[in-house]
Amino acid sequence: MSENGSTELAESENKKEERMSTKHLTRREFIRGAALTGAGLVVAACAPAPTPPPPQVVKETVVVAGTPQIVEKIITPTPVPTAVPTKAAVKDKIVVGMSRPLSGPLAQIGDSAFKPIYETWVKEVNDAGGIQVKELNKKLPIELKVYDDKSDVGTMTRLTEKLIVEDKVDFLWPGCGTSFIFAQAPIANKYGYVLVTAEGGATSIKDMLPSLPYVFVTLSFSDWYQLPVFADLMAEKGAKTAFIAYIADLHGIEYSGVAGIEFPKKGINILGVKSLPPDIKDLSPVIKEAKASNADIFCCFAYPDQIMPATGTSMELGYNPKAWLGGPGVNFGFYATTFGPAIEGVMGFTTFSAKQSATAKALADKLYTGKPRELQDWWGHPLYWAGLEMWKQAIEKAGTLNQEKIRDVLTKEHFNTVLGDTWFVNGLLAKESHTGEIGQWQKDQFEVVGPKNKATAALVYPKPAWPTK
Amino acid sequence: MNRVRVSLKQLLWLGLLGVVLILFGLGPRYAPMYTIILLTAIFMYIILTLSWVIFSGPTGYVSLAPAAFFGVGIYTSAILGKALPLLIVVAVGGLASSCLALFAGGLTLRLKGIYFAIFTFGLVELIKNLLLWWEIHFTGTRGRFVIVVDYATVYYVMFAILVVLILTAYLIRRSKFGLALQSIGDNEQAAAHIGINVTALKVVTFAVSAFFTGAAGAIMATRWTYIDPYIAFNPLFSFMPVLMAIFGGLGQFYGPIIGATIFGYLEELLITRFPYYYMLLFGTIMVVAILYLPNGLVGLIQKVTARLRVLARSQPAPAATSEAK
Amino acid sequence: MIQVLDVVIAGLLLGGLYALIAMGLSLQYGVARVLNVSHGEFIMLGGMTTWMLYSGFHINPLLAVAICGPGAFLLGFILHRTMFKRLLALSASPGIFESNSMLASFGLLFIIQNIAFMIWGPEIRGYSYLAFPVDLGGALFGANRLVTLGFAIAIGLAFYTFLARTRMGKAIRAAAQDPVTAGLLGVDINLVLALCFGFGAAMASIAGVLISISYPVNATMGLEYTIIAIIVVVLGGLGSIPGSFIGGFVLGIVGSIVTSIEPGLALVAYYVIFMLLLLVKPTGILGR
Repeated sequence: MSENGSTELAESENKKEERMSTKHLTRREFIRGAALTGAGLVVAACAPAPTPPPPQVVKETVVVAGTPQIVEKIITPTPVPTAVPTKAAVKDKIVVGMSRPLSGPLAQIGDSAFKPIYETWVKEVNDAGGIQVKELNKKLPIELKVYDDKSDVGTMTRLTEKLIVEDKVDFLWPGCGTSFIFAQAPIANKYGYVLVTAEGGATSIKDMLPSLPYVFVTLSFSDWYQLPVFADLMAEKGAKTAFIAYIADLHGIEYSGVAGIEFPKKGINILGVKSLPPDIKDLSPVIKEAKASNADIFCCFAYPDQIMPATGTSMELGYNPKAWLGGPGVNFGFYATTFGPAIEGVMGFTTFSAKQSATAKALADKLYTGKPRELQDWWGHPLYWAGLEMWKQAIEKAGTLNQEKIRDVLTKEHFNTVLGDTWFVNGLLAKESHTGEIGQWQKDQFEVVGPKNKATAALVYPKPAWPTK
Repeated sequence: MNRVRVSLKQLLWLGLLGVVLILFGLGPRYAPMYTIILLTAIFMYIILTLSWVIFSGPTGYVSLAPAAFFGVGIYTSAILGKALPLLIVVAVGGLASSCLALFAGGLTLRLKGIYFAIFTFGLVELIKNLLLWWEIHFTGTRGRFVIVVDYATVYYVMFAILVVLILTAYLIRRSKFGLALQSIGDNEQAAAHIGINVTALKVVTFAVSAFFTGAAGAIMATRWTYIDPYIAFNPLFSFMPVLMAIFGGLGQFYGPIIGATIFGYLEELLITRFPYYYMLLFGTIMVVAILYLPNGLVGLIQKVTARLRVLARSQPAPAATSEAK
Repeated sequence: MIQVLDVVIAGLLLGGLYALIAMGLSLQYGVARVLNVSHGEFIMLGGMTTWMLYSGFHINPLLAVAICGPGAFLLGFILHRTMFKRLLALSASPGIFESNSMLASFGLLFIIQNIAFMIWGPEIRGYSYLAFPVDLGGALFGANRLVTLGFAIAIGLAFYTFLARTRMGKAIRAAAQDPVTAGLLGVDINLVLALCFGFGAAMASIAGVLISISYPVNATMGLEYTIIAIIVVVLGGLGSIPGSFIGGFVLGIVGSIVTSIEPGLALVAYYVIFMLLLLVKPTGILGR
């Protein structure tokens, strides 16, 4: 925007000419412009809905208590269509709508977590003809309707409402990420749409669930029931001290908070806690401090973007605590492909291993055979899959596409899924159904080491030192 | 310009305007719910763009602070939403943003051009990171829930903000202030020499433009349900108004409005119809628009209307009123 | 307590990367006057290509420098000759060109990112190379980072020599100072501008290669590096290439110091310093 002195005069002359026509903004022009735009907007508004349907009486008088709970005081009369459409058209498919981050920073999670699951699962179900709906006396295949919310919460809420209100999808599948769940759950609940979540889950959602009867959370998390199991394992091996690095957001705060409660219970002293800003590039100061503290256990409660450099830096600096626990990141196949055999002994969160049962192996084969190793996710994938299975079985058991009835089935009944006997307790997937909580990389396999009764291998403690080339 | 004589043409336009206003007012009663929701989002884009243009248009100071003002509005809503009535919250959101603008504007008096732009951008990131750190270490909050407001109310409030904004923008542009702002844009030193209080004018206009952005943020937050510093202070909301304004064209008053509308609608179309290619298509359209429509959509419209006029003139027309433009 | 030297050296290691990134942007903005918001995308392309080459074909990342650098140069050169040259012709004033080119580069950002998604998917990728400690006088540093620093310094010095000694380098400096006069004196301005843009892209790409050695990469990593580049460029002085080089190291050290005290405030510190600098000495450390 800087101008050279010599050309300034000439330019200001030109600009003056330009300005003469624009500055004298007459009333006429203004009104014309505004009217034009207004008319344009009206046309645009009319375009997507050529036949405006009768007014939708959705009285949403919602009252909020002081805490983050959304309680409905006035229950609305029939919100949006439930199952069977009023049109004469025969129902020949189940339309499932989703707002997913197909672009933007969350795409990396969505693409590797829920997407491979639902794609494989839907194909499997449709190949078998679809879901049996008793009341219509036939099997209906599933049709997916996916929108890109650009990893933006505001867009996601708007698209969720579009799916429910305009596209009138039969069912809603979840958005990606804990904060997205927080934003989406009240909406799904308000319109009476069952929402079985996939990626995301946090302690704080436990408080919300009672007021959100339509929402069901599948993913395991800190105190449900990972960290208590971890603390047990560590205490048993005689670990006495820990150093925690956590990412400065909901996830990290929660995990570090829960650790702060569970660890001391089992006699583990926390020597240091460091918060990492999400954009941190260089973790060496934190690792060095952890090293200096000489703690037995090192915990990194963050995301792949931090856990990978944390691992790398630990290797570079030769930091070898007796136990190295990492959050989301360690449980993915790309952790192994990135670091190779060096990860021997690193611990993380998990749910299953192909060794545990025939069904587990079948699932692993279905999802991972013939595909690049990076896509493996030993923590989330079985839970999301189980969630979908429960959803399908609930529809079949309820015999209808009516959300309320399906909700009731999901709330009360047990289901047989890839995890075995699975059910929801207060909206959360029962921890007894979890076939694993803590995992450890041993000989290039992510073994389940805790809880003991579900373990596929014994915990190796202390962790072998990083290899030095 | 002869203000007294009201021509038939002006009456017709005024009538059209009135009809448009009534149509929008009746929207929630007769239009499908999602259309209203989408319109609310488009209104928000227009507000962001037009309020940006109020300051950055005439003065030439490219501001990348809209995200900061928007975020302040969002946070106001999150913090005060449960305690105060909605309209007050919206107004407070706007005022808080104005205060931020006054503060930031006051600081950056001497910065010009690219430095001003980068500074305002830094402001967004600074507030975001500071707020995150503060929330973790002092208030212990992990995200906030915003009160829920029904879609029709949000629509009306947003529409009201938009109308007031358009009026304000028009009045500023038509008044002495607009003239003064323009002269600051042309040659700030000369403007100071002829007695314009450049400092005060810049800061005040900056604050005025921030007010609307903040108010829009405050009301929009109620649609988002859940927010945290990263969601509220998203740098993308700083770039978007600039893009939309230039896309629309800065020459005419209605340029930014058209730019924002088309932009918003285009985005909606792309994320729903072509979800996996949204960025590619969007980016391509942007590049093509910049390369072939250097004056934005306004330039395109002007070319088209000029051509239409030539066509009209080439036909034998009885006593056509000379349009000396 | 962590030794001061330890912190400083850690800062230098990071600073080397910053310096490289910033130099590229400085070239593009200082000479070609394009505030290239898609700068980070070239970094991303370099990083992702390296990953692909390493995990798919076991090509040494340092060798990938030789592949990615020229490749990016070509891409940048072509982009300038087609897109930005046209913009230059269309724009009525330098100010308008700057804003238009910034917007065009924004569109480019979207396009490149989506193409990257289509090729590699958005998942995070990484590989481990030279991840073992090296003892420097009692303090430990990662070998990979030391190599990165070495490369960054080498490239920086090489480029600086190029600017100072060669004819083309002088032409570039002339064009940076006064394009019109340079043109009058026989410098093919269009060629120079395109070359600079290409060099800027090449440097970004090489930086991406080096980043991928120590950090994970993914298709959305670009924007945060662009932001850092902008900060460093302003810190060093807009238009001064040596300034960006030094500015990168300064920022790296500052970041390192703050991270060792309170990591949560590292980014806050960046921005506070950045903004203070703008208020006090906007022309930066070595700016003109």
